[in-house]
Parts: sequence; structure tokens; C-alpha cells
Amino acid sequence: MNRGLLLRAFREMWPATLLLGLVLVGVEAALAFVLPKFGGQMSQSWLQLDFARGIMQAMLGTQIAERIGPQMFQAMAWVHPVPLALIWAHAIVSCTRVPAGEVDRGTVDVLLGLPVSRGEVFFSETIVWLICGAAIHAAALAGNLLGGLGAPSAERPELARLGIVLVNLFCLYAAVGGLAWLVSSMSDRRGRAMTALFVVLLALFLLNYLAQFWQPLEKFVFLSPLHYHRPVNALTSGAWPWKDLAVLLGVGGALWLLAGAVFARRDLCTV
Amino acid sequence: MSLIQLENLTRRYGRRRGVERVSLSVPEEVLFGFLGPNGAGKTTTIRVMLGFLRPTSGAARIFGRDCWRESKAIKRDVGYLPGDLRLPAWMNGTQALSIFGSVRGRDLSRSGTELAGRFDLDLDVKVRDMSRGMRQKLGLILALAQSPCLLVLDEPTSSLDPLMQQVLHDSLRQLAAAGHTVFFSSHSLSEVEQLCDRVASVRNGELVANESLATLRERSGHDVTIWWKTDSQVRGLAPPEFLKLTRCDDAVWQGTLQGPVQRLVDFLAGKPVEDLSIGRPDLESLFRRFYEQEQGGHR
Repeated sequence: MNRGLLLRAFREMWPATLLLGLVLVGVEAALAFVLPKFGGQMSQSWLQLDFARGIMQAMLGTQIAERIGPQMFQAMAWVHPVPLALIWAHAIVSCTRVPAGEVDRGTVDVLLGLPVSRGEVFFSETIVWLICGAAIHAAALAGNLLGGLGAPSAERPELARLGIVLVNLFCLYAAVGGLAWLVSSMSDRRGRAMTALFVVLLALFLLNYLAQFWQPLEKFVFLSPLHYHRPVNALTSGAWPWKDLAVLLGVGGALWLLAGAVFARRDLCTV
Repeated sequence: MSLIQLENLTRRYGRRRGVERVSLSVPEEVLFGFLGPNGAGKTTTIRVMLGFLRPTSGAARIFGRDCWRESKAIKRDVGYLPGDLRLPAWMNGTQALSIFGSVRGRDLSRSGTELAGRFDLDLDVKVRDMSRGMRQKLGLILALAQSPCLLVLDEPTSSLDPLMQQVLHDSLRQLAAAGHTVFFSSHSLSEVEQLCDRVASVRNGELVANESLATLRERSGHDVTIWWKTDSQVRGLAPPEFLKLTRCDDAVWQGTLQGPVQRLVDFLAGKPVEDLSIGRPDLESLFRRFYEQEQGGHR
């Protein structure tokens, strides 16, 4: 591994990671603080409404009949669109840096003019992405724990179960990152790559959401990565969702490998 | 031994031609000028040489290694300055030397600082605050700092003032004298004429010349102007085949002499010559002539 490439990537990634991490701490803390209180006040009456139950099920991606309780509202903090958007934004920003970002800002000629293979560049960027991604998830956890301090200790989620949710969320992040790597490796314009990813991820998010309301979409819901992220299950049962983790990591890994193959073979220079 | 070897190198961008069947051999320890107008294919050739672009056909080798497959090994001993240099905006010169040195596994700070002094560049200024000329200087420092076996420079003087151009020329001459090779692309003929030992020229993606400057000049003949005496009658006089005229009237003949000057002297003996001028063409007119011939050939 090339130390200079790692240093360069870290230097360029830490500001975005710090910024998104701080925002995520705040958002997660607010959600973890507010949602259980909201649940305590509203759950019994509000969730009797079919429409409200539908929305909750759509967000959580699972049937909630037997799960109405504090865990359901704790889980909401991990599937809420705002933290998901922040975490995915980090994946998109990190994984479109090379090659699309380098080509777009015209620095790829200087980068590849150095005695480094494309594989080294790809691995170095991946390592920095994963480390910064871990930091982002740690920020989310910190925010969640911080917000949870406002709740009675009996209603706080167990740390071990939160760990499962976090690992699941990281695998989801890896799958989104794998897609971002692939789109970036085929693109010369970072803006276009990011826009395409935003559209695809929004579509997949909506697919997962709308499938709860519209029967014909149900058979396609397996395409959405959110289908494999159901924190309410982990928080209520404490069981590891091995199958979901395997699907997310498998898809993310396959897309990442494909991206690496495209990156190694394509023409790369400032356009 | 050839340091750079291009064999029938072709690179196309879809239907658009980049370079077409370029064969070129660059020996060691020379200052090699790679000339051509904008869009001729100079940058494409360099990008293939550095492994950024895969050749459509043909081969490119540096140090005997394949430029696409063994790009990393080649670039260990290559310093490169792109034509359109962009560096990350957050970097300053010191950080750039540190990071580039770290990537290369060498400490470039000492040689870089020395070069910064020579090029009069403050290494503490961030790239985002640098003028184009300052960025170009930093790019040159980064390319030169490791004292590479081969230096590939794509139009390096384009944003430098004349004083800095001279500093660069001196640095490149020193490098060549110390046994390094410089591959220098430019569209400025006078610059190449001042600096280079050998020259190749591309036009519309094809190589139109590849020889030493001395051979090129030898092959190009002499510029000749003959002023006839005003009362003379040269109307019936036919120019000899070794004199290719661009102007031919009763008063003046102007054109190019191919072959030895003695033939012209013999031809003019006893004829009513008022004045005569014979000289070597400069590279500028030489290439213009060359391009015009090629253009005529293409039509």
C-alpha cells in the first residue's frame, strides 16, 4: 500500500467526513431523544390507524403488529431518511472521488503520472473510504447514545443490539458505496455520476417504501438495499441478520470488484 | 539504445483520429523536441507513453517496457509535467513535495527547495492562490525534483515568462548533460531550435519528420534570392531543377536551393546578377514549408 496515496486521500476526505459526522451526531441525537417520547405518547392511539401503521411499516420495512413498543421507535432513528441521506451522501462523495472526481477536476494526469498502479490508487481510496465510513457510523452511534441519555435507562437500546444495527447499516453503506464506485469508474464527470446515483438511490428508497402500499411493487422490493436493513428486528430479537448482511456485502463487493476492473482497463486522462 | 520506442502507434477516439501509425525512436541522453501545431496529436502520444491511454494498435515502449502493461515500473524513472496542469487546490508547494515524495518513496524536500529557489517560487503559497505561471513552476519542480532518467514535458513553457523559460532551458540542458533524457513537446519551433538535439514533428496525428536538427536543415536546402540587373533579359531563362522558385519575375527569383551551393554558383556564372542572398532557413520557415508540402500531398 502506498503511504503517499493514503495521506493524499485522507487529506481530501477528512473535511467532508468531519462535517457529515457532526451533522449526523446532531440528527441521530435528536431522533433518539424525540422518537421514543413520541412513541410513548402516540403509539397506542395513532397506530390504530391503518394509514399510520402503513407508514411505519414502510419505513421499518417489516410488519409491526407484534413490535409496537420502544424498540420500534428506537429503530426509527436508523431508518429515518435524514440520517440515511447523510450516510449515503458520504458514500457517494467518497466513492466518486476516483476516477470521476480526479478526471473532472483535471488532477488525474498528475496522479497517474506518479509511479503507482491503478490498483494501488483504487485500494488506497477504498481503504480511506472504509475508515472514513467507519468514522461516520461511529458518529451516528455516538449521536444515538447521546440522544438516548434523555430516555429512562429501561427504554434505552442495548449496546450489543445497537452494534448489530450498526453493522447492518455499514453493510448497507458498503452496498451503496459499491454502486457509487461502479458509476464513478465509468464516468468522467463527478456531477453526473453523483446525480445518477442520487436518482437511483431515491428510486430504490421509494421502491422499498411504496411496495408497502402497492401490491405490484412487492415482487421488486428485493432490488432495494433498504429491504436488507431492518433494525427493528435486531433491536427486538437481538438476532444477527446474516442473510441480509451477506446480500449487502455480496452486492457491494461485486459492484466494487467490477468497478476496479473497469478502472484498471479504461482510458484515463483529463478531458 | 532507444529509451522511447513507438512502433506504428495508433490511437483513435472513436472515429476521431488521435495519432496514426507513429513510429519514433528517442535515444538516451538527448533533448528531444516533439513538435506540432495544436491538436496534432502530441498530448495523445504522451498519454499513451505514460499509460493513461491504451493504444488502438501498435506498440509504445519506454526503457524496453510496455507503456500500458508496465506503466508503474516505467514511471519510477519518469518525471512528467502535463500540458494542462491541475493540482489539488488545498496543497501548497511544501505539502506537494512531501506527498509526491511519499508516493515515490523519496525525500524531495531538499531538491524541491533548491529548484523553488531557482524558479523563484514561494512553496508556502496554496495552489488555489497561485497564478497559472506559479502552478506551472510548481509542476516543473515536482517533475524535476527527483532527477528522473526521463523527463516528459508537455508544452512546459506555455505559461512561463521569458526569464523563467530561460531558467527552464538551462535546467534541461544541465539534465541532458548529466545523462538524462528530455522529451519536450512544444508548438514553438524557435524554442525547440534553441534547445533540442533531435526533433520529431506530428501533424494531423501523423509523424512528418524525425531527425536531428542538423540533418533537417541539411535536407531542407538553402533559402535563395537572386536580384537580376534591371536591364537584363532573363525572361527566356529557365530555372534549373535544383532551384524551386516561389517567386520568378524579370527582377527577382526567390526560392529554395536543393543540394550544394556550388551548383548555383556554376549556373549563375556569366549571367546578369545584381545581387544574391543564400542562407539557411530557420526552423520556423522550414516547418511551415514542410507542413505546406504535406498539405499539398494530402489534397
